[in-house]
Amino acid sequence: MDLSEQQVGRVWVVTARGRLDGATSGQFAQQMEALVTGTEPRLVVDFSGVEFVSSAGLRVVLGLVKKVKTLKGALALCAVQPAVREVLEITGFAGMIDIHPERATALTALS
Amino acid sequence: MTRFAADIVPNPVAIAGLTGDVAAFLRDAGVDARAVHHVALVIEEILTNVATHGGSPDAQATVALEVQRDRISGEIGDRGKPFDPRSGPDPDIAAPLEERRIGGLGLHLVRKLTSVLDYRSDGKQNRTAFSIPREQERGLSHGPQ
Repeated sequence: MDLSEQQVGRVWVVTARGRLDGATSGQFAQQMEALVTGTEPRLVVDFSGVEFVSSAGLRVVLGLVKKVKTLKGALALCAVQPAVREVLEITGFAGMIDIHPERATALTALS
Repeated sequence: MTRFAADIVPNPVAIAGLTGDVAAFLRDAGVDARAVHHVALVIEEILTNVATHGGSPDAQATVALEVQRDRISGEIGDRGKPFDPRSGPDPDIAAPLEERRIGGLGLHLVRKLTSVLDYRSDGKQNRTAFSIPREQERGLSHGPQ
């Protein structure tokens, strides 16, 4: 899994590529948690390049969402591939996390 | 008929490698992206469960797939403790709420994404069989628009 981040205003935009599974979820958690700091952290995670998400990946996403909420911040996903989107819906994650079709709309919502 | 078969000692890195191979195989066979993802995911979740709860971390497991016209059928064999994925573990009622919500996610996905899920054990070997429909089958089942 490759992650690259850029700051747009006060929002971190993280572009994720690859697989979010039992082999990569630890690294993903570590890199994301480094951005979930301070007060009211705001993050958009671009999932357009994420081709695979397993339950191990979902657990990490859940942990991040909880941490962001504790810090009174916001986290949104955008451009989620259809099969991954289905996984988020089946597991109830789609109801817990803001998911936007495009990066631009996610940025507008969090800015 | 297009078939895939592999042996694996399940650990996170080996499972990721195998499910990556499975996805490449299915894409090459012309399977739609949804079914490619979900077959790889079901294999990942079942093997992860074997690795985590099977009690025989060094025992080899087998994965066999068959691409059929309307579905992908698979069978995973392992020598871990007998476990029927259709039954699932009892929830840990002593766990904090947040842990209870994430527990069992993998098996939940396996049950929801498969159209067929069977299990049998001969006392030594577990065999978990599953099917996942291909896109044209799902389309046909919806009838004319």
